[in-house]
Amino acid sequence: MQDRPRPSAPASARDPLAWGVALLAFAGFVASLILWRSGGGSVDLSWASELDLRLHFSFDGLGALYALMATGIGAAVFAYATAYLPLHLEHQQRPARDRWRFWPWMGLFTLSMVGLATAQDLILLFVMFDLTAVCSYFLIGFDRQERASRLAALMALLVTGIGAVAMLIGAVILYADHGSFSIPELSRTLQESGAASTTTTVATALIAVAALTKSAQVPLHFWLPRAMAAPTPVSAYLHSAAMVAAGVLVIGRVYQLIEVSQVVLDGLLVVGLASIAIGGAISLTRDGFKQVLAYSTISQYGYVVALYGIGGRAGAGAAAFYVVAHALAKSALFLTAGAVTMATGARKLSQVSGLWRELPVLAAASAVAAATLSALPLTIGFFKDELFFHAAAGRSTALGIAAVIAAGLTFAYTWRFWTSLFLGPRRACEKGASQPLDPLPVLLVAPIAVLALLAFLGGLITAPFAELASDAAAATLGHPAEVHVAYHLDTRTENLMALGAWALGALLLATPGLWGGPARALARAGERFGPNRVYEVGLNFLNHLSTAFHDIEVRDLRSRVAAVLVPGGILVALGFIATPTAGAFTVGPISGTDLLVVAMLALVAIAAIVVTSAHEHVAIVLSLAVVGLGLATVYALLGAPDVALVAVLVETVVTLVFLAIVAYAPRGERPTRRELEGAASRPHRRQHESRRWRDPLIGFVAGAAAFLVVWASLSRPAATERVVNEQVRLTPEAHGLDVVTVILADFRGLDTMVEITVIAVAVFGVIALLRRGRTW
Amino acid sequence: MSILTETVARLLLAPSIVVAAAILVKGYVDVGDGFSAAVVVTLAIATQYLVLGARRTEEEIPLLRHAPRVAIAGLLIALASGFFPLLFGDPLFSHEPGPGDRVVHVGRLELMTPVLFDVGVFMLVAGALIALIHHLAEPPELEAEADAEAEATR
Repeated sequence: MQDRPRPSAPASARDPLAWGVALLAFAGFVASLILWRSGGGSVDLSWASELDLRLHFSFDGLGALYALMATGIGAAVFAYATAYLPLHLEHQQRPARDRWRFWPWMGLFTLSMVGLATAQDLILLFVMFDLTAVCSYFLIGFDRQERASRLAALMALLVTGIGAVAMLIGAVILYADHGSFSIPELSRTLQESGAASTTTTVATALIAVAALTKSAQVPLHFWLPRAMAAPTPVSAYLHSAAMVAAGVLVIGRVYQLIEVSQVVLDGLLVVGLASIAIGGAISLTRDGFKQVLAYSTISQYGYVVALYGIGGRAGAGAAAFYVVAHALAKSALFLTAGAVTMATGARKLSQVSGLWRELPVLAAASAVAAATLSALPLTIGFFKDELFFHAAAGRSTALGIAAVIAAGLTFAYTWRFWTSLFLGPRRACEKGASQPLDPLPVLLVAPIAVLALLAFLGGLITAPFAELASDAAAATLGHPAEVHVAYHLDTRTENLMALGAWALGALLLATPGLWGGPARALARAGERFGPNRVYEVGLNFLNHLSTAFHDIEVRDLRSRVAAVLVPGGILVALGFIATPTAGAFTVGPISGTDLLVVAMLALVAIAAIVVTSAHEHVAIVLSLAVVGLGLATVYALLGAPDVALVAVLVETVVTLVFLAIVAYAPRGERPTRRELEGAASRPHRRQHESRRWRDPLIGFVAGAAAFLVVWASLSRPAATERVVNEQVRLTPEAHGLDVVTVILADFRGLDTMVEITVIAVAVFGVIALLRRGRTW
Repeated sequence: MSILTETVARLLLAPSIVVAAAILVKGYVDVGDGFSAAVVVTLAIATQYLVLGARRTEEEIPLLRHAPRVAIAGLLIALASGFFPLLFGDPLFSHEPGPGDRVVHVGRLELMTPVLFDVGVFMLVAGALIALIHHLAEPPELEAEADAEAEATR
């Protein structure tokens, strides 16, 4: 630490990479704002028309909402991170160049969120969805020296990745049924067809599962609290505007597909309510700052999911509004947690209290954020709950009561978080009570103040936010929807429900002794028997299974070859059982040069038999060369000079490469691990005994399969004749005389392209294995 | 290796490369294509490695050092010639000049994008195979010793 100069705040402020990304996000925000006000626009490019794949982006209301969030919240969080990241790296004694592992991913994260927000095609949606997962993987695992970070990153990737696969399956089912990946087209078809078929319901349910996984809803919520291993700016962004928001964004986007199946909507409602309850209850028991906020996020997105489950104008509008209000509050609270940790070194509520004296600005800003989250008046948050109450009470009284309890929980855990940090006697671990705190860099406080100011202004000037939510709801529903918000000083239901919720929240805050035990028991039970445990057990099981197969496969070279040949042979055999054999397996006449061919093939057969009985490596290689060159001669005799030329050349190179590799091989048979460990030699000999039968059997299965395939395809040349004639006819038009070359470079150019790409990947893979990544 | 084999190997290099160039250039009208041309070049280089040994070959033909870069450049050229039509709204591998258009000739060489694609294939295969030969030609033990020396001096 001594030899490295302390990165001062001005030095970090001059980091062009960090500021570049932050400014790009801000520029994106301004651009999104202009686009939204000017009515949006769309791009529709068909890039693989045979597969109906289109690059269809449309900047509609929903796209505008999430794009504004991703870039706007992004700009604030990135500005914060320009100050946070250098300190974070310094704490962990990591070099400053590690910021290259942070900023590009953050930028891509924003970009993929904007892409996801505007995508109008299910496949495109899937790609963007996965792109956010990949970015989050690298960002959650940013502290890669810590095992917990790596495991958390892997868990987030696996859980949301499996969800994404469900989405892909759903998309393909819909395509098979309705012939389109385009969300607007599918919406129209489904809405017109009225009641949903079972397959449609299954497909939309699969897409909904993907969205719920991403939004960390019960029971697939467990990855989110673990993802708190990420640096704070990542958590703040992930929770408010990016990763987790992507889930509800997808629900909002495909709402018209889901809408036709009431079952799926009811499912959303149930999952949402369960998430509110479980997330809220566990949040009340957590001690770590970020853990409290993580469970709060699960609960908050539960609100949004439940609102989509309620559906209709009230539900969709409220959901859109809720997301914005939550994003402002949650990002500010996360950044507060990070700032407190930077100032005190503490990570748990029990370690600090009474910080308001020393961090008054932070305390005030985060108080506004907390007020927003807990829906106090004069903040934008008040309206999110008003709309929620309106939608819930409109559905049924029972749902209304559930809504009040949910809001009470939110009130309780939000203020428990804030009061523990800032009120009470002055305490700050590590530094000691008497020692004053280092002043925080301005950039660790200013973005929080800006976010809080926005939340506060949103409570006074509601029109822009309401309009944004209306536009988003209109895009979600497919028809115009108005979101009206205003203060009403009367005894309407929503106001009474809000009062009830605050009273309940205050009661919960005042009586932690009453509910503390059961809530902690719930949290513990969840850890021990919950989905987290299922994930761990499942992953362990898969690991063991994979290891078992791997052990069988890599025991020796023979098992490795057998692992390729036997499944291949079995698959081919199954294929033969399934295909008709009429016309296959005919024996044609033999005449003229055919005799030469037969003679060459006999030579090849003899050489092949020699290969199986040879013991010296060099002899095996040379016999194989005889096989290859014999086959090349056969090609030449059959009038295929191009193939023959390539065969001769390849055979020569392969023989040379084989000889070079053989030069590395140890002489004689290598002692097995068992022998090296000095185990009894008897089991080993028995293994040899079994090999005597096993190896020929494997060879026979693979050889017989290959023989049948070749025989069958040569018996029916007519199938390919038409294609070949067509290609020969077209060759002069492609300015060529050599059909083979023209096929390779022109007719089947894409195939060649893929093949040479494989060659490149394979060669560089071999080089990486041989020389640990040095290319020369 | 004797002086005779050395001389023969050296003498073979230039003609092999000329043959490869011929195969590449006339690929569209006669037997052969970029792939075969690349393998011919590789065989010529492999002969040098066999006769002269890795170190001397690489000293005498310093160009070999660029083999991995050539391979990557070849891949990029092939990708570009295949995917550029997308920019003009045409399907993949819409080659220029199209059917019926006139092709500019420089001797036997036809100036058209399929030939460019073939050149990409040639560069990729030749570069990749030569890189592979380089890695196989230098036994790992020697490499390990060199590594150990490097560690010691550091």
